[in-house]
Amino acid sequence: MSENFELDWLDEFRDKANSDRELAVIGEWFSTTFSVNFGPQRIAFKVANGRIEEIIRDPRFDVRAIFGFSAPLTVWRKFFAPTPPPLYHDFFAMIMRIPEFVLEGDGLVAMQNARALHRTMSLMRDAGAGNV
Amino acid sequence: MSDIEPIIGRYVNITVDGRVYRIFYEEAGAGIPLFCLHTAGADSRQFRHMLNDPDLTARYRVVAFDLPWHGRSTPPQQWWEDKYLLTADHYMAITKAVWESIGLQRPIVAGCSMGGAIVLRAAFDHQDEIRGILGLETTAAGHGRYNDFLHHPAVHGGELCATYTYGLNAPSSPEAGKRENWWYYAQSGPGVYRGDIHFYCNDWDAWEELGRIDTTKCKVALLSGEYDYSATPQMTEDVHKAIPGSYFKLMHGMGHFPMIENYPDFRPYLMDALAHIGD
Repeated sequence: MSENFELDWLDEFRDKANSDRELAVIGEWFSTTFSVNFGPQRIAFKVANGRIEEIIRDPRFDVRAIFGFSAPLTVWRKFFAPTPPPLYHDFFAMIMRIPEFVLEGDGLVAMQNARALHRTMSLMRDAGAGNV
Repeated sequence: MSDIEPIIGRYVNITVDGRVYRIFYEEAGAGIPLFCLHTAGADSRQFRHMLNDPDLTARYRVVAFDLPWHGRSTPPQQWWEDKYLLTADHYMAITKAVWESIGLQRPIVAGCSMGGAIVLRAAFDHQDEIRGILGLETTAAGHGRYNDFLHHPAVHGGELCATYTYGLNAPSSPEAGKRENWWYYAQSGPGVYRGDIHFYCNDWDAWEELGRIDTTKCKVALLSGEYDYSATPQMTEDVHKAIPGSYFKLMHGMGHFPMIENYPDFRPYLMDALAHIGD
C-alpha cells in the first residue's frame, strides 16, 4: 500500500460538486478555502458560492485555508472504503470518535457552512470511494 | 379516492412542578399501550411508520408525543425567561404525567436515543406501573455531543443540528428516510437540541441505578444500530450486561434513528423485541 493516495479522482469530485443540484440550492453562501490533509499530502479547495473553483495540490504556505480536516492515511482509507466501517462513515462521526481525525482552523466557519460542507464531503467520499 | 392515514392527533394539558404544559400526542391502534419517546431535538413524527403499520396497530395502541418545546407541544408559561436545559428528573416527570393523563394502563415505554435513555429510569423508578421498556440506541450515560455551536448567534441552529445528526444514520439507509429526519431536526426551536443534549451528556448517569431493575416485573428489550456513533452498540450492550434478564440485539446496517431512517429493516427487530416484552 503506497504512502500517498492516488488523487486522480479529485477532478471527478470537482465535476460532481459543480454539477450537484443540492449544492446549487444550498451553496450560495459557501465561499471559503478549506484544506484536507491526506496524511502528508495537503490539498486546498477554493470554494465560491458552493462551487469548487480550484483544487490546489501541494499548496505553498501562502495559500490560506480557513479550516481543514487532517488525518492519517489509515483513517482516510476507511472513510473512502466502498462500504465505510462504523465510526468512519461521516466526518462528524470521526470528529467525535476518531482522535486522529482533526478539524483544524476556524471551526465556526465550518459549522456556519455545515450543510454545504457536509454535502461537499459526501460527494468527495463518493468520488474517492474505492479509488484510494 | 382518499388516502387518509389512521393516525389521530390530540392535545392534553398536564401540570408538572406547578407549571401547565400543552402537549401534543398522536396515536393509532388498540390494545397494549406502546408509548413512544422521540429523540433529542425532534418530535413524534419520527414514529409515523409505526403508527401506520397495521400489523402493529392491530395489537398495540401506539402513542407518540412531543415533549414540551418540541414539535407541536408548546413551551410552558413565561418560557422566554427560561434557558431550556432538560434534566432527567423533569424528563421523567413529564413522560409519566403524559402517559397517566391520557389513561395508558401499564404501557410499554419505548424511546430512542435520549428517549432510549430515560426509559431506563422508567424501568428502575416505575417498574410496577409499566409492562416493560423498549430502548432504542440506549445509553446509561452519554458524552461528547454537547458543544457551543448548537446554539450560537452566528450559526443557523436548525441546519447545523440537522446536519450534525445526519451522519448518525447508516450509510445504507434509504436517503428519503434520512432526509425526512433531517427536516424534522431542522424545524426544532432555537437551543432545543442543545437543551436536550444537556440531559443526555451532562445530567444523565444511570449506572448506579440499573441494578434496581427487576426484569421479572418489567421486561427490558434493547436494540442498537451498527452505525450509531453516539450511543454505540458497545454502549448499549454494556447496559444489557448490567441488567440480568434483558434482551439485546444489534441491528446490522442501521443507525441511530431506526424507526424513521429505515423502517422496513427495523420492523423485524421491533417485532422480535416486542415479542420478548410480551403481554
